[in-house]
Amino acid sequence: MKTTRTIWSIATMILIASVVLAACGPAATPTAAPTEEMPEVGFAVMPGGALERAIKGEFTGTTVTVDGAFEGNDADGVKFAESMKAFEEATGITVNYIGNKEFEGSIAIRVGAGDAPDIVDFPQPGLFAGFVRSGNIVPVTEFISDAWLSQQYNPGWREFNTVDGVEAGVMHRYSGKSLVWYPKAAWDEAGYQIPETWDDLLALTQQIADDGDTAWCIGIESGAATGWPATDWTEDMMLRTTSLENYDAWVAGELPFNSPEVKKAIETWSEIWFNDAYVYGGRSSIVSTFFGDSPGPMFDNPPKCWLHRQANFITSFFPETAKYGVDYDFFYLPPVDPAYGKPFLVAGDLIAMFNDRPEVRALMEYFTTPQSVSGWLEGGGAIAAHQTATRDLYGSDLDWGVSQLVAGATSFRFDGSDLMPGEVGAGSFWEQITSYVAGSVELDAALQEIDATWPK
Amino acid sequence: MKSGKRQKQLGSLFVNGSLFLLTLVWTIPTMGIFVSSFRARDDIANSGWWKVLPYRDWQPVREIDPREAGLNPDEIMEIEGVAGTFDEFRAGIETPDGERITWIGNKRIGRLEVQERVWTVDWNFTLDNYKQVLGGQSFTFTRPDGTVQVVPGDNMSGAFLNSLSVAVPSTVIPILIAAFAAYAFAWMKFPGRRGMFIMIVALLVVPLQIALVPILRDYKALNLNGTFLAIWLAHTGFGLALATYLLYNYISTLPRDILESAFIDGASHFTVFTQLILPLSVPALASFAIFQFLWVWNDYLVALIFLGGNPEFELVTQRMAAIVGSRGSEWHLLTAGAFVSMALPLLVFFSMQRYFVRGLLAGSVKG
Repeated sequence: MKTTRTIWSIATMILIASVVLAACGPAATPTAAPTEEMPEVGFAVMPGGALERAIKGEFTGTTVTVDGAFEGNDADGVKFAESMKAFEEATGITVNYIGNKEFEGSIAIRVGAGDAPDIVDFPQPGLFAGFVRSGNIVPVTEFISDAWLSQQYNPGWREFNTVDGVEAGVMHRYSGKSLVWYPKAAWDEAGYQIPETWDDLLALTQQIADDGDTAWCIGIESGAATGWPATDWTEDMMLRTTSLENYDAWVAGELPFNSPEVKKAIETWSEIWFNDAYVYGGRSSIVSTFFGDSPGPMFDNPPKCWLHRQANFITSFFPETAKYGVDYDFFYLPPVDPAYGKPFLVAGDLIAMFNDRPEVRALMEYFTTPQSVSGWLEGGGAIAAHQTATRDLYGSDLDWGVSQLVAGATSFRFDGSDLMPGEVGAGSFWEQITSYVAGSVELDAALQEIDATWPK
Repeated sequence: MKSGKRQKQLGSLFVNGSLFLLTLVWTIPTMGIFVSSFRARDDIANSGWWKVLPYRDWQPVREIDPREAGLNPDEIMEIEGVAGTFDEFRAGIETPDGERITWIGNKRIGRLEVQERVWTVDWNFTLDNYKQVLGGQSFTFTRPDGTVQVVPGDNMSGAFLNSLSVAVPSTVIPILIAAFAAYAFAWMKFPGRRGMFIMIVALLVVPLQIALVPILRDYKALNLNGTFLAIWLAHTGFGLALATYLLYNYISTLPRDILESAFIDGASHFTVFTQLILPLSVPALASFAIFQFLWVWNDYLVALIFLGGNPEFELVTQRMAAIVGSRGSEWHLLTAGAFVSMALPLLVFFSMQRYFVRGLLAGSVKG
C-alpha cells in the first residue's frame, strides 16, 4: 500500500510541476516612447507609408504574426528571424513567426475559423491565388504606391502576384531552376567545355559517354512528392521548345497535357533520361534515387557523373567539404530552339497581407526591400526578388551569380506545377510522370491521365 | 528416459534459438539506425552501416599513371602481365599473384590502381549528429561587411520540457477519470449503464482526425488555442475511450467477495475505490499509463493543431520535423534524434516495469 501512495504523490508532484512550468509564459516587453524624428535605417523606406511612421516609433510594442511553410527554428526559420532583425530594431514591432510544415493544410483551417495570421509567406502561388479570389487578402496596391513597386521590382516579377488583374502580394525570394551543376576541378582537368546550345550539351553528353562515364546524375525520389524534379525538367523544356504563350496556356489548363507541345517537351528530356549510357545507374535507378542524394556521385574522386540539373538550393545536399568555384560550379541550361531566347525557370515565395493594421502595413512595406531577404542572402539558399538587391548584400558569389544569370535571361516563368491546381501540380503530374519514367505507362496514356484529373 | 531428456533439450534449444533469431531480426533496423547515428552524413550516404563490421575489400596499393605507361584506353592495353580492353580494366582484372588492376575514372583523367584484397572496417565514428540534435545546429551568415557570424539554433532542452509538460498531465488526467468511470461501470448500478458503456466502446473506432476542426473552432471561441490546457483536454478526450474500456476489463474481474465484505463493513463507494480498487489495479493503470505516455510523447498531429507552430511551445516531435530542414537536407540528424527522443519513454517503461510485477503480486497474494 505504501508504494502506491508514493507513486501517486510523485505523480501529483510532477503534475503540479508541469502546470507551474506551463504557466511561466514570456514577460511583456517594455515599450519605448515615440519620437518625431526619422532615424537612420539600413533599408529603403517608401515615403509617406506606414513603415515611415513605424520607424518614428508610432507602433512600438505591437506584434505582427507571420505564417509560412517552414518551421520557426529550422534553417529557413533562422534565416527569416535574421531578416526581420533590422525591421524589429528600427520599429520596435515584434514579428511573431508561427509557420510550420503543415502550413498548406493548416492555413485553410485557420482562415476558415476566422483566425487568419496577419501576413502569410506563400511558397506556392496557386494557394495564394485561391485566397485572393475568396477576398481574404488585402491587395498591396491599396497601401503601396505603384511608383514604389516599379522601383523595387522588375515588371515580370509583379505579374507573379497578380491574380485576375489584382496585384495582391509581393514577391519575396526565389531560387533559380534552369541550372546545371558540374564538378569543376575534374571538369577542368578533363578539358570539357561549357555547352552554349542544346546540341553542344548533347554532344558533351555523348563525349562523356565515349570517355567511359555516364554524364548525368538524375534522381526524382522525394517521398510523397516523388516525380517533382521531372516536372521541373518538363517546364524547362516547355520554355525552350515552345512559346511563352503556350507555356502560360498550359499552366492555366488551356493547353492540354496531351498536346504535341507538351509531348515534345517531355520527349526532349527523355532523349537523355532514357539512354542508359547517359544516366548514372541507368533509367531504372532514376525513380528510386532520392533527389538530394542523386548529385552525390559527382563528388567522388574521380566523378562518376558530371552533370546535374537542379535549383540552387541543391547545394545544401552537396558534401560539406565541397566548395563552390573549386569543387563545383554551375552553368545555364542551354536553350533548345534559339527562337525562344534564353528563358529561365524560377520558383519562390510571395508575401500577402490578411489583416489590415498599420503595423502590418509597415512590415509589408519592409518586405518590398531586399534587406527583408538578408537572412537568405547572407546565409545562402535563396535570391532576393527585388531588382534593388546589390552584390554587397549577398554573402556568396554563388547566389549572386545565379541572380545575374536570371537578370540576363530574356524571359522567366514561375514553376508551372506550383501554379497548377493541387490535384494536378502536386498530384497527377508527379504520379504520372514517375510512372512514365519507370516505364510502366506510355507517354500518351500518362498525359491523358493527367488531363483527366484537371478540375473542371 | 535419456531420449526424453534429449528431446526436452532439443525443444528448449529450438525455442531459444528461434527466439534469439526473431529478436535479432527485430532489432537489426534499430541497430542500423544506432550505428548510423554515430556516422557523418557523407559516410552514411556513401556506404551502409554494416561496413562497421569487418569485411574484405580491394584496397589500393599503388597507382599507375596510364599516360606515363604509354597506354591507350581505346586499344587493348597490356600492363603488369595482364591485358584487356578499357571496359575490362574498369571492372578490374586480377593478376596471377592475387592482386587486381582497376581503371579508376574515365579515359581522360583516369588512373590505374593496383589493389590488394584485405580485411577492413569503416570506423569513422563521430558524435556530431548528437551534438547538433542536443546542442542545436549552427547557421553561418556572411554579413555585407564581410564578417562571418555563426548563429546558434535552438537546442533540445526546451522541446524536452515542453513535451514533458504535455505528456505527464495528458497521461494522469485520463487515467484518473477513466478509473472512476471503469469502477462505476463495473460495480455500480444505474440506469443506462449498458447503453453508455456500448457508446464508449463504439467511440474506440472513431478516428480522432475527424474531431480536429470542430474542437479547434470551440477552442477558438473559448480562447484556448495554443495553451497547454487545450492539448491536455484534447489528449484526455482522445484517450478516454480506450482507457475506460481497458480499466473496465481489469476492474470488473476483481473478486466480488472483497468488495462485498468491504460494503458489509460499511465502506462507501469512494472508500472502496480509493482503498481497494486503485491499489489492486496498479498493473492495469501502469500498463495504460505506458500506452498513453508513449502515444502522447510520439504525437505530432494533435500538438501541431492545438499548440500551433509556436517555437516557444515546440515539442520533441516537432523539433525532429524541424531539424531535417525544409527540404530534408539534414535527414542524417534523424538517426541521432530518434535515439534522443526515445530515451525518456524507455526510462518510463523500465521504471514502471517494476510496478507491473509488484502490482500483480499485491493483487494475488493479499487479495
